[in-house]
Parts: sequence; C-alpha cells; structure tokens
Amino acid sequence: MIPVRCFTCGKVISTAYEEFKRRKEAGEDPKGILDDLGVTRYCCRRMLLTHKEIIDDLNPYQ
Amino acid sequence: MDIAISRLDDGFGRFCLESSSPSFANALRRAMISEVPTLAIDEIRVYDNTSALFDEMLAHRIGLIPLATDSSCYVMRKECACGGEGCPGCMVTYTLSVEGPCTVYSRDLIPADPAAAPTDPDIPIVKLIKDQKVVLEARAELSTGREHAKWQPTNACGFKNYPVIEVSESCDACGQCVDECPRNILVIEKGRVAPIPERIEECSLCRLCERACMMTGIGDEPAIKVQADDSRFIFVVESDGSMPVKMILTQALKYMKGRSTELLEHIGEISGVTRDEEKDE
Repeated sequence: MIPVRCFTCGKVISTAYEEFKRRKEAGEDPKGILDDLGVTRYCCRRMLLTHKEIIDDLNPYQ
Repeated sequence: MDIAISRLDDGFGRFCLESSSPSFANALRRAMISEVPTLAIDEIRVYDNTSALFDEMLAHRIGLIPLATDSSCYVMRKECACGGEGCPGCMVTYTLSVEGPCTVYSRDLIPADPAAAPTDPDIPIVKLIKDQKVVLEARAELSTGREHAKWQPTNACGFKNYPVIEVSESCDACGQCVDECPRNILVIEKGRVAPIPERIEECSLCRLCERACMMTGIGDEPAIKVQADDSRFIFVVESDGSMPVKMILTQALKYMKGRSTELLEHIGEISGVTRDEEKDE
C-alpha cells in the first residue's frame, strides 16, 4: 500500500495516489499530474513516483 | 516584536516576524512543531484482521491519519480527571468494520465524536479481496509532536532570515548576476542592478550573484552583496489539516508565554525575589 504520509515532511500523499495511478496509466506526463494534485515538494513527489504497489501480489496469501 | 502576515488560510501560512532574534524565531518554530497538542490514534484493538497487512502495520497506518482537533474539547490523558485511565474527556473512540472485496478508507473509521473525524476521508488504509475482513476499535488521544511525529500539527514548518541585497557604486550593469540568479529576483534598472521588491522574499541567500560578480574580474569585492537580516524572519507553516495554521500559531505562542512565566517564577524562587516585590521596587 502507498505510505499514508511523505516520509520526509509528513504531508498526506496517499490520497493523491489513486488519481495519480489512473492518470499515469492513461499515458499522461507524471510531472503535470503531480503539479495538478498540488504535490509541490520533491520529497512528496518521489513518494508517488517511486512507489511500487505489491498488495495485489500479496493478497492471495494469508 | 511584530508579525506581518502575507498569506494565511487553514492549510498554509506565510508571515514575517519582525524585530526579533534568531533564538526566538527558532523557539517559535520548535513550539509549533512539537508543543501544540493534536489528536492521533494511539491504541487499537483488533478483533478480526484477515487482510494481507499485519496488525502492527494497520495500527501504524491508522495512527498517521490526521484527525480534526478542537483542543479546547479535550485534555491530555495524564492531566485528565479520570487519572489516565481514559474517558470521553481525554479520548475519542473509533470503530472500523469492513469486509472485502474493497479498499478500506479513513472514512470507514466511525468516530464517537463527529467533531474528531479524520480530516481527509480518502486515505487508503488497506485493500481487501473477497472473504478478507478487518474489524477493529481505535482510541485517539491528545499529545504533542515531542512524543511522536503523528501528533505534529505541521508538515513543512520553517523560517529563513530576511534577505538584504546591497548593490554598490562599482556595479557596471553587466547583467551576469541577473542571469545567474536561480530565483529571478534581479533586474537592471537605471544602469545598475537592483532586486525586484515583490520578489526579494524569494531570495534563498545562495550568493550565486556574488560569485557571478567576482567572475567578471571586478576586483576583490563583489559589487552586489547579499546579507541575512538577523532581526527579520520569513516563516512558512503548513498544517496537516488537524487544525488551522492560525490556531497552531496562537497555541505555540501561548505555550512559549507559559514557559517563560514559569521560568521567571523559578528564578524568583531561587533569588528570593517574587514578581510582586519586583513591581514594588
């Protein structure tokens, strides 16, 4: 799961993840999406840019 | 001491602290970060968790959710009349019960006090598939950022000295510093370089302009000089949503006032001079 807050500054970034993911998969430039979502600092931007979601791989296992 | 506010809304504040000192500015910054009490979930009781995340991870994620805090309604647990056992005066309870397939969001946390609901309803907590289930009870309490970062009311909270840019007579308006400035705060005006008044607060005191000036072979001293004003500070405060910036600022100042009064009293005790006696003299 995406971390709830930015590791560095503590801003809540998890709320932006779903829209970020949807728009990125639609082929939009990540820079524009992050600017739109108001994720301005580079600490918060790397949280979304570098996240790898593995919950779907884990879910079948208990 | 003055505070000149240039922008203040619930989530963000930018102001200038004038005729002050670096130690006071830092004390204010630290008070805002670590001494303003907020609510955060501190204890959870897990009744059922068949999700892919461990109970501890769930607890950690739930703890980080910012909660709307009206600190006049609650007291710190150890100062409460209940003696630290936990009562509605010092705690808020939440219940969460979700069955998959779906994603559990912060809005699924149902608070006992609607005024202390999560500020953001869309924080994903965990994703569930069919037959997975999370049932838990959580308790939030009031504490400060000194204890744990989840009780910090601020995200980005800092200050910088007010920049003072001086251009001497020896400036020949070559424009090297104007090109070099990464924040674009300089222009050439009437045959000399000058800072744009509206943009001067953007200056990061990087002194690249001084270096650019020296590179032109002007001599031993650069024509442009950037200095930090030690009595004026530009503050930037960002709230995590649990309370408005104005509230954070007033509470931090109140805390500082309380602590300095306490210090005065202690000094009075040691020296044997009470505050009333001081007034008489």
